Amino acid sequence: MNADREHPTMAEIRTNFHAELDALRADTVRLAAMVTERIPWGTEVLLTGNLSSAQELIDADDDLDVLSIEVEERCYQALVLQAPMARDLRAIVTALRLTSELERSGDLMVNVAKGMRRLYGLDIDPKLRGLISRMGEEAQRLMHVAIDSYAEGDAAKAAAIDDMDDRLDTLHKEYIQAIFECHRESSIDLEAGVQLALIGRYYERIGDHAVNIGERVRYMVTGWLPEHTGAARAAARKPQSEGIADPT
Amino acid sequence: MIRRSIDVRRRLDTLRARLEREGEGTAPSTSVDDAAERLARAFDAHEARQDAAGAVAERLVAALDVIPQGIVLADAAGRVVFRNRVADAFAGARHSEALVEPVITELIGRAVAGEAETRVLDLYGPPRRSIQLRAVPLDDPDVPRPANGDAAPPAGAFLVVEDVSERQRLEAVRRDFVANISHELKTPVGALGLLAETLAGEDDPEVVHRLAARMQREAFRVSDTIDDLLQLSQIEAGSLPPRDPVPVHLVVTDAVDRTRSAAELRSVRLVVVEPPEDLSVLGDRRQLVSAVANLCDNAVKYSDPGADVTVSARTDGKTVEIDVSDNGIGIPSTDLGRVFERFYRVDRARSRDTGGTGLGLAIVRHVVHNHEGEVSVSSREGEGSTFTLSLPAA
Repeated sequence: MNADREHPTMAEIRTNFHAELDALRADTVRLAAMVTERIPWGTEVLLTGNLSSAQELIDADDDLDVLSIEVEERCYQALVLQAPMARDLRAIVTALRLTSELERSGDLMVNVAKGMRRLYGLDIDPKLRGLISRMGEEAQRLMHVAIDSYAEGDAAKAAAIDDMDDRLDTLHKEYIQAIFECHRESSIDLEAGVQLALIGRYYERIGDHAVNIGERVRYMVTGWLPEHTGAARAAARKPQSEGIADPT
Repeated sequence: MIRRSIDVRRRLDTLRARLEREGEGTAPSTSVDDAAERLARAFDAHEARQDAAGAVAERLVAALDVIPQGIVLADAAGRVVFRNRVADAFAGARHSEALVEPVITELIGRAVAGEAETRVLDLYGPPRRSIQLRAVPLDDPDVPRPANGDAAPPAGAFLVVEDVSERQRLEAVRRDFVANISHELKTPVGALGLLAETLAGEDDPEVVHRLAARMQREAFRVSDTIDDLLQLSQIEAGSLPPRDPVPVHLVVTDAVDRTRSAAELRSVRLVVVEPPEDLSVLGDRRQLVSAVANLCDNAVKYSDPGADVTVSARTDGKTVEIDVSDNGIGIPSTDLGRVFERFYRVDRARSRDTGGTGLGLAIVRHVVHNHEGEVSVSSREGEGSTFTLSLPAA
């Protein structure tokens, strides 16, 4: 081989780097698919009281952990070896942040499965079952939109997730109200009520993670984060407050 | 191909001209001419064979692209050399289908190492699907078997991806039907036997009276089941019903009248949104009344006392839709696709309390199919259900 060809050209380095970015995006989408699959799976486990399926879901969390660590390490490698700038840098940082949001969402569905084990044998009121089912569908829908916006780099779609999350929040409130009603009618005891409320909270938190993913996608595309508005306000206030504090 | 053949001939002409120049003064060699001509003909034949093979390959690829299964071919190193359209769709998929591609890669890797494997991937979706992946090593007939008798290393791998959801659903229907029919018939018959045995050794008139009442209830239950089975079999086996215009308001009125006593017993109010009198469907009035009455009966059974069951109808000119809605306990989403199966019970314990044979919705489905219509259900637990019959308008 020619000695010159032992070192890749700059163009080859860029091509390889962009292939690596594509692979990173594909793996993040796969991680998201694993998480979104767990939402209807966990809901079914909860509503059918299927103990063996609950155990499978809990065990399957290890696979999610393995892939999230892999993605995270590849992000670090890309940051260290390629020293990316601008949009490329934001794409890697976004993948890194998404990994933790997704991994946490997977953990929440594990919590749902564990919650089912604590509730095992309880005849859940049909109204609560219906609301659990709707919260599950809504949480999954939010995750789908969040991942679509990431895969397509669509900032407008990502911006819509925050508003869409209001529906899940409303369902969550209805659900908590229904738990109170069931408890008042003595169809569930306090312990079961608390356990069911926690399960509702897990779905609501998945919605929040989807909103976070949306915000990170907006950052990836535009370089802007909602926190930047608050930071700008704080910066605007700073000289004035410093002036009052230090009259000299 | 033609251009390449012309190229060869041109080169041969150049070669002949050079040979002629070198041997100027002597007669041109006919053997060189013959050799050149033979070579050109052989080349043309080879090109024609290659083109024919290319056309066959193109047709094969086109055929593989229209089959519902995904096909993936890999070489000995595990590199994918071909995937048809279905398999290709998994490569850039999102959401649940994105989970298929890593399994394709894993199974291809195993197959090129000589290990055949079949795996079923259950995807929650929605829609819920079962995807079967089958990978096998490919032998190369040209590679001789090693002298020690071991298998030759695979020349590549072949993988088939297939959606087996419908096959699995039909298998579950068949399996559950056999189990359910024996349960529905054996339980009351077994109870009758035991009650009769107890009755034979009983002298207390009060106990005898109670046992006889139980026997009567069990006998009615078997009788109801057999009646429904006969009705179902008549609908299934019978020829297409007469295609007479049947006024929808008469169908609804008859069906509601048939259910009224059961509704009053459970303090459920039957609300009819009166359809226009000129609204008609094509079919058999008796069968249609039976279908709507079955839906009303079901709605009443699964409604709380004081609740409403609403029957309404509408049309878009081509189709008439009859809705039966309730605010009852609803149907879990996992059972929604199966409620029209014979003897399928969402909640076996509750069904026993509410009575019924487990055949009502199967009868509805068959009646509607006989009328070239469709039946659908939308439901949410704790909120209620709406069954919709779509029938051709008269």
